[in-house]
Amino acid sequence: MDRELIIHGENLTHIYPNGVEALRGVTIDIYRGEYLAIVGQNGSGKTTLAKHLNGLLRPTHGAIIVRGIDAGKAKVSELSRIIGYVFQNPDDMLFCNSIEEEIAFGPEMIGCSKEETKHRVDEIIQVLGLESMSDQHPFALSLGDRQRVAVACALSMEPEVFVFDEPTTGQDYFGGQRIMSIIDQLHASGKTIIIITHDMQMVAEHAQRVVVMSAGQIALDAPPEKAFTQLEPLETLSLRPPQITRFAFRMGWTDHAILNVQQMLAAMNGSHASSKIETGGEAK
Amino acid sequence: MQNIIEVANITYAYPRTDIPALNNISFSVPQGQFVAIIGPTGAGKSTLCYCFNGAVPRLFGGEMSGSVVVAGKDTYENEIPVMAQHVGLVVQNARNQLFNVNVQCEIAFGCENLGFPRQKIIQNLHDALTFVGLQGYENRQPTALSGGQQQRVAIACVLAMEPDVLVLDEPTSELDPIGSEQVMETITRLNRSLGKTVILVSHDTEFIAQFADRVLVINDGSLVLDGSPREVFSKADLLSSCRIRPPQVCQLSYELRKKGFPITDIPITIDEAVTLYEGLQHG
Amino acid sequence: MADVGYINQDSFLHRLDARTKLILMLAILVVVLVFTDPIYVIAILFLVLGAWKLAKLPLNMVGDIFKYFTGIAVIIFVLQAFFYPGETNLLQISNPIPAIGFSGYITLQGVMYGLALVLRLVVIMTVAPLLVMTTPMSDLMLALVKFKVPYRFAFILTTAMSLFPSIQNRAELIQQAQLCRGVGDFESGNFFVRLRASASILTPLILGAFRDSQILDVAMSSRAFGAPIQRTFLLESHFRQADYIFLAGSCLSLVGAVILRIMHLGVV
Repeated sequence: MDRELIIHGENLTHIYPNGVEALRGVTIDIYRGEYLAIVGQNGSGKTTLAKHLNGLLRPTHGAIIVRGIDAGKAKVSELSRIIGYVFQNPDDMLFCNSIEEEIAFGPEMIGCSKEETKHRVDEIIQVLGLESMSDQHPFALSLGDRQRVAVACALSMEPEVFVFDEPTTGQDYFGGQRIMSIIDQLHASGKTIIIITHDMQMVAEHAQRVVVMSAGQIALDAPPEKAFTQLEPLETLSLRPPQITRFAFRMGWTDHAILNVQQMLAAMNGSHASSKIETGGEAK
Repeated sequence: MQNIIEVANITYAYPRTDIPALNNISFSVPQGQFVAIIGPTGAGKSTLCYCFNGAVPRLFGGEMSGSVVVAGKDTYENEIPVMAQHVGLVVQNARNQLFNVNVQCEIAFGCENLGFPRQKIIQNLHDALTFVGLQGYENRQPTALSGGQQQRVAIACVLAMEPDVLVLDEPTSELDPIGSEQVMETITRLNRSLGKTVILVSHDTEFIAQFADRVLVINDGSLVLDGSPREVFSKADLLSSCRIRPPQVCQLSYELRKKGFPITDIPITIDEAVTLYEGLQHG
Repeated sequence: MADVGYINQDSFLHRLDARTKLILMLAILVVVLVFTDPIYVIAILFLVLGAWKLAKLPLNMVGDIFKYFTGIAVIIFVLQAFFYPGETNLLQISNPIPAIGFSGYITLQGVMYGLALVLRLVVIMTVAPLLVMTTPMSDLMLALVKFKVPYRFAFILTTAMSLFPSIQNRAELIQQAQLCRGVGDFESGNFFVRLRASASILTPLILGAFRDSQILDVAMSSRAFGAPIQRTFLLESHFRQADYIFLAGSCLSLVGAVILRIMHLGVV
């Protein structure tokens, strides 16, 4: 299969000024259209790795190439047209008087024309369904809505790759589902998605590739239906697969990880018919 | 058993709002119970937490009717510091509730404010730190700790004040898996080993199903359901209308029941589910 | 780092009681303000630098302080050298300009006074870190309370300093977030662009601090802050022999400085 390499990290090492070695020789290839989740404990290097993609952090050793550009040297403003980074807390970026103004800020900063800016803003408001609140003050919105505005701001730079840092943290199930459906929609439109998260159920239900980080290195890199069969390595890293996956394991489904309730239902139906299990990732 | 908390008909609206954040809520909690509060964002869970020591309405203003009595003390008649001797409140964000220069001063802070004798402060400081598993962290700067450690320091801070009740508002919502696990383990021991009454707000229904004695479901400021975890997690439709996600083994069981599987009691933990479905397979 | 600015070392200064160090610092400040002769001020400066050395503090930080201070120092020195009403003329640089009080001459007294003023400021700037870097904030708060500074005030003063690093972290995060929105370089662009760029950092920072302060209020009250009860303290402070020696030394130097001043010594 011809896949276009969009990000290539080679032996990345990052040492913070305080001496902490947050990345210790990470090599990773990310292809266009992937849906990737980076998991691991805090301090394992997830965010440090992600911040190398758009130049917020520079490698101490090694190289990071983003669509042919050396991201170890390019300006953040240049890289942010390729990599859209959505921070965990929308309140760390929102500051304008209206949502329209907020979305227009990025395009204005990178020198888009008035017409172009307006075109982008209108389109994004429509795509994300923000029409009813476009002239409202960002701080008058709920956290979930503020987060959608944060996504809108990243969209306004028209990047090809989106990095989401903990998109579901601090939200209830409904809020999490809503943001995930936006991310799924972006992925369906051809964008490359990278999610940093602790939410294993979300990883199981949405991601197509799981990168597990531990102590600044990649400990595991596999599709979720494979990754979540590695119970022992996951347990040593204190990562717990979703409850339904663990239940399936206890019931003896061990060759493929069951990733959601629907797959479990299908598997149980199958086992009733022939007591043989034929299910797995392709159910998605 | 004697009731340590009596909440009677509380209705409350924040200043400059018309819609009440809490709407005619009543319940009582016997001493030593582990009560979980679940509900969607904006349902009023945090507001309810603030009621137990009188922070609502004293610090937030607004109109409140009804009464909250903890350990015989009414929040109308007693200032927050007085209520704090009976109710330890751990607010949602650990970072914001640690403000002293080191862990030792942080934990001693409440005891000092309550005028505990120095020897007692030293003893409580030691006991609380040991309880949360952070011995040796006395001189560390709280803001330099990991999220899970910060949350455990926050628990030690209120624990050292010897309250009867601990109220914890989403203590793990921003933690990584290790941090969450350690904090939840600590909370379970608060209840099981120390016999403290625990009020826990959380979205972690899997944990609640396993450890809580009782679950309160809050939606749009009202108490819509009050029962044991099994009672609550059996009500698929009500939970879904409140945008609450029950444990996945429950979701599975709802579906199988619809398909005609003979499930009388919805299993709420993995162990229960394994027992049930192994029985169904062999039977 | 266990504390803001605090450098964990074992030295005689670290072992002194915080109250002693506060008084010592005040004594040095008073003495340095009494003398206007740069020779005297230089002598005191060397004492302070000696204390830096003895307290095992990084001397290169003194260099940093000097570096930041050079610009202001030059301005202060030039102003004094020109405008101080001295008697011994050194150099005529123009005709008298009565409108701004300039005699046209640079005087010896002006140069000396300017030099002393600059050196005084150097002493003040090197003494303050000496206290902060050898004293944990918790001890400093206790010292203030023992000096009858109201607890609330002492608490706010020391807590504000301990919250500083987390505010700094947040500012950094916000700056990163805005960089991702194409805020290329905060120094470039026209005035309007720069204004928006700084607003994009300051607004979230201030609003965040405001939200945090509400929660802080709840958290502090929940820990019985402001209880109508006589407060107790975990930490204790005790004077030891060295403290009494330094206190006596501070008093003697104050008296000595006043006597010298009355005798018109150390004054230009």
